[in-house]
Amino acid sequence: MIRKDFAMAKQKAKLKSEQNDNPGGPGRYFIRLNFNERVQHMIFLICFIVLAITGFMLKLPEDVVAKFGDAKDVVFYYRGLLHRTAGTIMILVSIYHVFYLLFKTAGRRWLVDMLPRFKDLSDLFGTMLYYLRFRVRPPEYDRFYYKQKLEYGALIAGATLMSVTGLLLWTEERWPKFILDIAAIVHGMEAILACLAIMVWHMYEVHLRPRKFPIDNLWITGVIDEEEMMEEYPLHYQKIMADPELQKAYLQPEHGKRDVSGRISARGSE
Amino acid sequence: MRFFSLTFANSCIFAGLLVLLYSGITSAQDSPITSGQDLVTDAENCLLCHRYPNMGRYDKSGNKRIYYLNEKVFAESVHGKLRCKSCHVGLDEIPHSNVKKVDCSSNCHIKEPSTDKEFSHKNMVDKYVASVHGLGSDTSPKKKFPEDLPTCKYCHNNPMYVPADGIWGKSEALSNETLARCIGCHPTSHWAERFYSHFTHRMRRRRSQGEIVKLCTSCHEDQEKMARHGLESIGTYKDTYHWIQVQYGVENAPDCLSCHVPLGYSAHDIRPRTDSISPINMANRVKTCSNQGGMQSCHPGATTEFASGRVHAYGMKAQMMADQNAESFLAGQDISLVVERAEKDLSDKEVFHYKVLRLIKLFYKLLIALVIGSMLLHQGLDYMASRRQLKSR
Repeated sequence: MIRKDFAMAKQKAKLKSEQNDNPGGPGRYFIRLNFNERVQHMIFLICFIVLAITGFMLKLPEDVVAKFGDAKDVVFYYRGLLHRTAGTIMILVSIYHVFYLLFKTAGRRWLVDMLPRFKDLSDLFGTMLYYLRFRVRPPEYDRFYYKQKLEYGALIAGATLMSVTGLLLWTEERWPKFILDIAAIVHGMEAILACLAIMVWHMYEVHLRPRKFPIDNLWITGVIDEEEMMEEYPLHYQKIMADPELQKAYLQPEHGKRDVSGRISARGSE
Repeated sequence: MRFFSLTFANSCIFAGLLVLLYSGITSAQDSPITSGQDLVTDAENCLLCHRYPNMGRYDKSGNKRIYYLNEKVFAESVHGKLRCKSCHVGLDEIPHSNVKKVDCSSNCHIKEPSTDKEFSHKNMVDKYVASVHGLGSDTSPKKKFPEDLPTCKYCHNNPMYVPADGIWGKSEALSNETLARCIGCHPTSHWAERFYSHFTHRMRRRRSQGEIVKLCTSCHEDQEKMARHGLESIGTYKDTYHWIQVQYGVENAPDCLSCHVPLGYSAHDIRPRTDSISPINMANRVKTCSNQGGMQSCHPGATTEFASGRVHAYGMKAQMMADQNAESFLAGQDISLVVERAEKDLSDKEVFHYKVLRLIKLFYKLLIALVIGSMLLHQGLDYMASRRQLKSR
């Protein structure tokens, strides 16, 4: 099965490169993540990985810890330092994200599009029917659909909980031990939940999904092509096409031939 | 008849010893140890026999007992200046039939310089007997199951003097330079060396934190043994951040002694936490956690709220109290003492805390199972649908 996915990915890459070589072809790209959002994602991603590794190092079995040999106390020192540094950066990015949502045009659009609506519930129901073959096509999604909204909600809840409990544990002497015990349990269990969710929900979405395999370039380039846009987010596509203002925001200005490096540096609307 | 059997047994042991001695002599020809070096004080000439590495026998229970003494190693140990008979009282007959167990509280005929009296560990032993680990004295109740209690030798061997650790690291050069200054006034260099070694020996901990935890848990993790004394296993210590630091060999890591025997306390005088002088008594917790004046930097800003919480994670006792189902623990063993102690040790507040923590853990376990399970199902369906869609093109 995986081999077939590889073959499909290769075919898709070839098709895209052919489209890009042809200036008259349908090489129009839609901005899903602007430069600012991509940088936020990148910082958050690095912090998350560092935090997960340095955090779960506390749960290593005794014999694995013993493998660090004489350097284990040095490893422990840098583990703590990295964990706190990455945690601080993650909190700062999260605070900036709130600022971005409230005070930037693109951020405000993001916030409005991300708010849960009744349509999300009906989309979930419709998608299930589609998965179970009771429907031929999935429901038409807007800019963000239920899966992404759930993930974003979980991210906000998770980051808040982890930040608060992390800060409590960091400033332990100021709090009653019972509060710290709760914080330690929540911090540990939430970490397991977050890592598993990222692995099952997000990694599948951007790596294993047959259309995306082996990796979705969106986190680097920030754009998707017109075909994908029409297929995955048809409602949003229609809205953009009908509104010149939205076209300014979401349509990559210099469409046509554009290499990957060009797309990476594309800033999009902020 | 009894006399005969004893004599016969002694003769057998003596014959055995002779055989071992002979084999020892043959192997000792290659041994680096040479007699007559006077490394140790051997006025009784015990080394005549005990210098041979094969000196030993199997006791009645089949354990191998080694009676060999490595002269060089012993000379470097903390007891290296003592005569054998300072500790091994009796032993006047050969083969030794009147063997008495070593009693660390006896006088060892070395004059203690500050009082000019014969030295003895008696004051330590007296303290120890009255402590939680001791059998009990006239003033404290005698304990049941004396075989469970650690003797002096359970924790103490005869440690070696080694060059001092210092800010220069493990440095023999440091010892050499310091000693050079001593020897100017104290010309007997051997005496100066031992005095210096004794002093530096006391300047640092003998065991690493990991070794301390290993020593204490060798008894305190034995659930059955602990239950006989109304205690629970301290395995829950290993759920704490304290233990993780010990595991990683952090220099400042807190082991058992850091809290139970902080600065100003003695490991031989550990008291139950209900005792007002115990460092883990609620009244003394802030002082213990802040460890002011101690080498370890613990929680200098500890408040009463912070310090009065539970340090080891909750264990069997809390579970018993929360569920009121003592009979389901340690089946087949009398745990009435544990139940009795649990009621005394754990306040209602602590039981409530345990219940809350347990509930949060359960909530998260269910949440993780539910969320990740649904996600797996969703993504599995999505995978199949995506492949179906791609195929249909």
